[in-house]
Amino acid sequence: MVTGLGILTASGCGVDEVWKSIRAGESGLRPLTLFQSPRYGQVPVGQIQQDLIALGAPTHGSRSDQLGWLAARDAIGDATINLSEIADRAGVVMGCSVGGSFDSERFLTTLIKQGKMRARPTRYHECASVVDLIANEFGLLGPGMAVTTACSSGALAIATAAEMITAGEADVMLAGGADSLSRMTWAGFNSLLLMDAAGCRPFDAKRAGTSLGEGAAILILESEEFAQKRGAKILARLTGWGTSCDAYHTTAPHPEGTGATAAMQAALKRADLEPAAIDYVNAHGTGTRDNDLAEAKALKAVFGGRVPPFSGTKHFFGHALAASGAIEAVVCIAALRHQEIPPNPGFHTPDPAIGLEPVTKLERASLMHVMSNSFGFGGNNAVLIFSRPETKPQTRPPQSSPMAITGLGVIGPGAICQREIEKPLPAGKVVVRSCGALADSAWLTPNQRRRFGRMMQMALIAARHSHTPDPSQRLAVAIGTGLGCLEDAGMFLENLISKDEREPMPARFPNAVHNAPAAQTAIDQGARSLNSAPTMGEISFESALWQGMCQLKTGEADYALAGAVDELNKYPLAMGRRWKYWSERNVPGEGAMVASLTRVGNSTTTLARVTAVRLGRWRKPFDAEREADWIAAAVDLKNVEVILSGAGGWPALDENYSAVAAALPARAGRTLEHQTYKQLCGEFQSASAFGFSVAVQMAREKKCGVLLYTLSPRGGKAICVLQP
Amino acid sequence: MEILPEELKEKIIRSLNLQDITPAQIDNDAPLFGAGGLELDSIDALELVVMLEKEYGIVIKDIEEGRPAFKSVNTLVVFIAAKRST
Repeated sequence: MVTGLGILTASGCGVDEVWKSIRAGESGLRPLTLFQSPRYGQVPVGQIQQDLIALGAPTHGSRSDQLGWLAARDAIGDATINLSEIADRAGVVMGCSVGGSFDSERFLTTLIKQGKMRARPTRYHECASVVDLIANEFGLLGPGMAVTTACSSGALAIATAAEMITAGEADVMLAGGADSLSRMTWAGFNSLLLMDAAGCRPFDAKRAGTSLGEGAAILILESEEFAQKRGAKILARLTGWGTSCDAYHTTAPHPEGTGATAAMQAALKRADLEPAAIDYVNAHGTGTRDNDLAEAKALKAVFGGRVPPFSGTKHFFGHALAASGAIEAVVCIAALRHQEIPPNPGFHTPDPAIGLEPVTKLERASLMHVMSNSFGFGGNNAVLIFSRPETKPQTRPPQSSPMAITGLGVIGPGAICQREIEKPLPAGKVVVRSCGALADSAWLTPNQRRRFGRMMQMALIAARHSHTPDPSQRLAVAIGTGLGCLEDAGMFLENLISKDEREPMPARFPNAVHNAPAAQTAIDQGARSLNSAPTMGEISFESALWQGMCQLKTGEADYALAGAVDELNKYPLAMGRRWKYWSERNVPGEGAMVASLTRVGNSTTTLARVTAVRLGRWRKPFDAEREADWIAAAVDLKNVEVILSGAGGWPALDENYSAVAAALPARAGRTLEHQTYKQLCGEFQSASAFGFSVAVQMAREKKCGVLLYTLSPRGGKAICVLQP
Repeated sequence: MEILPEELKEKIIRSLNLQDITPAQIDNDAPLFGAGGLELDSIDALELVVMLEKEYGIVIKDIEEGRPAFKSVNTLVVFIAAKRST
């Protein structure tokens, strides 16, 4: 059930304002003023003109964080819900792909142009930062996660949040997306020649690319039961969602739109609807030649000769990347409420190759079920179906079953060595744990070796170690990362800033997105089910594991690859050095781990079983008794002998880990051994993925249950239980 | 100024980070894209666009414009020469 909406776009803030612009046919595309762009300054953009602080945003956080916070505030207000009463049962999933890049670029500009290191803006660099900000500011203690599948993130976030409610892990979820404009995405899309200098013209014969935008949108999702109990005003019902992966190309969609077709069909199946029941489709409609043609083919494949009225609405507010799926979800819900179909501005000339024409003027219509399409880089597709509140609810019993681990691929643990911090950062040395030259890189094709950075190669090799693809089994991939491909992102931005956009690096840009390792793994393995790259600081791996397990439980995939990867990079090394964070006992590390999972019974070899994965947030100040209660409620501690924790990294968390380990035996009615793994692999955000491989070993060798326990300094927490 | 195919091939190798390939191994008439040659893809085409601007001052705004020129080393040599004489 959708009970509240918050939205900020270039064509208005708030649902009413956005709908007013849509009714009036007014585009929010204008010249760029947020930053200087010597090379691409003429291209129109969907920039939010209002001052975010004046709108009430907190002064801390990145521009993306502030956009997300404002959308969250408005959505909570719209739902008139008191979250503090149900904090444990309320969570947040956000789509984010730009994260704090806009703010980190200010840091880089000062560093490169003036040689000054002003590190403060980089504190909010992570894409997960917006989730931390929203959860901490609004006191949400339920599951929290950010998903970063580029342009489909916002829709995937909504689908993931819905799964969390279906699984009974939350009653209320804030779900949506937030992305600000940034030099990175601006120059990136321009260098890929994917921007239309005339503003995007979805489905038009003369379309020449998309228009970039920024914004945020958040939906309040509630379980049927909870919404009824509190007498919430119901805006719409999320009846279906479907995900898929093209597993075809880094940036281009599959030319026949096969992945898009599969995602639409999966959403229809989930909603238990025939194609003919869909009254309107809000198309992804970026305005690029390839997307719109592939999407039109997919629409024809799904709907046959009766494609419902459809429109692409990106000419109104630009393509706000990870926010766009959520923004368009809000547009769909507003369409249901007003019983009006939004038009597709920018369309004038039909394209015979497309053979379909979108709605060009606002139309009144009887709308019961509407579909929203989002497709992203790497062929990551997510489709949502919203229905009028009076639609009958479908019931799907929550399923919980253990999953078998059939393979593990591990790159690491790294060896101790000294690393020189490179330019443009001030010179210095740091002791690190580096995985060194990658063994088995000969497995990769010449094109993979020349094109991909270290982190992507690590993920690909780990995945190959864990799994041998079988075309008869549907495969999902969820590979998390804390900081993403920093080498590629850093190189792209340093080059951009130092050369004033003169010689952009188009091949680097698609590597710099967080979902690049997951998307390339899908291409490498032919994985066409869900493809996701969750990020949530120290619990990025557990977030990926949660998503992979969910795909197996719901029967959307036969096998799931769940893993995480992070690489050593000069920027976090230099920041940690400046803030005196690294020490002899807290050594920065790197690594990749990918596990292959399937339902118990589907596997021939089982290394161990995963019997539970839970995500949540801890409240400051840390209360070990409360945290131990949370674990005891989620897990049967009778069968657990070892707690394997992330202690030995962030010094401030060590006490918390020890206190929880001390509080658990009273609840388990037995002694528990407290073990750690970071002394082996070093500290990095994906370290718990390595911890997972240690836990599998322990469960096998000691023939006992192992509880993997992870805390993030910014409030995330996760548990995962392994049994032999 | 004449464009030498060998010099152009070196620039292609450098801009695309082609590994274990020498200019001599690239046939001047073999297709750069698709099967039977270097098997480059659409992202490589965009890197070549940047390379043409950096090395020869040729600006391509629409990838369709570059497509016929990117067929082989020889077609690219002709394209560069034609662009620079206008």
